[in-house]
Amino acid sequence: MRCKTIEKWLSDRIDGELSERKIKALQAHLERCHSCRSYAAALEKIQDEARSIERPEVSPSFWIGFTSRLKADLNSKRQEKILEPPLVKRWRWAGASAALTLLIVAGLYFFLFFEKPVPEMYVFSYEESITQIYQEIGGDFELEEMFNLVVLASIGEILEGSGWQDSPGFQENSLLWENLSDEEMMLIESEIKKEEKIEEVSHEG
Amino acid sequence: MKGSMADHSDDHLVKLAKKGDVEAFAELAGRCQERIFYSILALTKNHQDASDLAQEALMQAFKSLKTFKQRSSFTTWVYRIAVNLTLNFLKKEKKDGARQILDESLFWAEVKEEASHSPEGHSLKRELSRKLGEAVDSLPLPYKASFVLVVFQGMTHNQAARVLGCSENTISWRMHRARKMLQARLRPYLEGR
Repeated sequence: MRCKTIEKWLSDRIDGELSERKIKALQAHLERCHSCRSYAAALEKIQDEARSIERPEVSPSFWIGFTSRLKADLNSKRQEKILEPPLVKRWRWAGASAALTLLIVAGLYFFLFFEKPVPEMYVFSYEESITQIYQEIGGDFELEEMFNLVVLASIGEILEGSGWQDSPGFQENSLLWENLSDEEMMLIESEIKKEEKIEEVSHEG
Repeated sequence: MKGSMADHSDDHLVKLAKKGDVEAFAELAGRCQERIFYSILALTKNHQDASDLAQEALMQAFKSLKTFKQRSSFTTWVYRIAVNLTLNFLKKEKKDGARQILDESLFWAEVKEEASHSPEGHSLKRELSRKLGEAVDSLPLPYKASFVLVVFQGMTHNQAARVLGCSENTISWRMHRARKMLQARLRPYLEGR
């Protein structure tokens, strides 16, 4: 048995924490080891000395003061508890307030420091759409003719009741011309010229 | 009222105190305050600090009573709060370098008179007692706390382990090492007796 182990066992024995089996082994070791016997004696002296130290006297008035101070603190704490809302409620309020504050701060931050994307204004343009359609169907005479009829019919719907049909010609209706683009005007002009040429040819013929 | 409180068990008083019964808590505190005070005093060696820390520990116990699951006794639980508070206090004091030991003579020099029979023996005993006080005080905090609880308070390793929040084996090793350190420091005085 090593002396280091025995030293640890000696400490445990003083505290009453050593098993019977180990106590027997310890005693057997002590009988033949002078160094460990000496160490055991030193530990016993320290233990006796420590145990012989008396607790300092504390006057009864100290305990009276101690108890009354404690009771006063306890009562004051209890009053605080009664007056304050329940803890859970307070935590809920604290949580809600924190969330709201965070939201406001985050909102302000994004509002102030982030560039807002400018929404692209999409304005529907009849001019563009009609030009595009004409470009698409350009060359197909029949299709162009059909489309013209559809456009005229839709114009007729818009102008229904305005008496445009009674006017000498829809060409004179300002509403129609005001809504046409330059390309459309040029297209109409070229169409009129074509018709005029056809008429001239037929007259000549 | 006080008489009826004194008749109740700790467990019942804890139940009442959890509902906010100040008298029940005061009764519980009264049952353990003396042991707690003396343990703190053994660690701080300052009467005023011990009184303040004991009050603080009991108030902290009252405030957090709802978290007490009663897996240990009320006394052990309060002990644990008190010892933790005291160890933190001592660490802070040591860090600040402002610790004042006011009651060293009061605590350490009170030796049972019957232990020595001659004036010479009495003087040696007083010297050993004083040196033992100094040696215990110089122990590292975990060793000192274990020594105070086991030797001065008479706790078992298991009880001390519960208070200090460690294993019994740890307490056993701390006690062994504390005794080795004390023996090394006190060797001249131990041989002189």
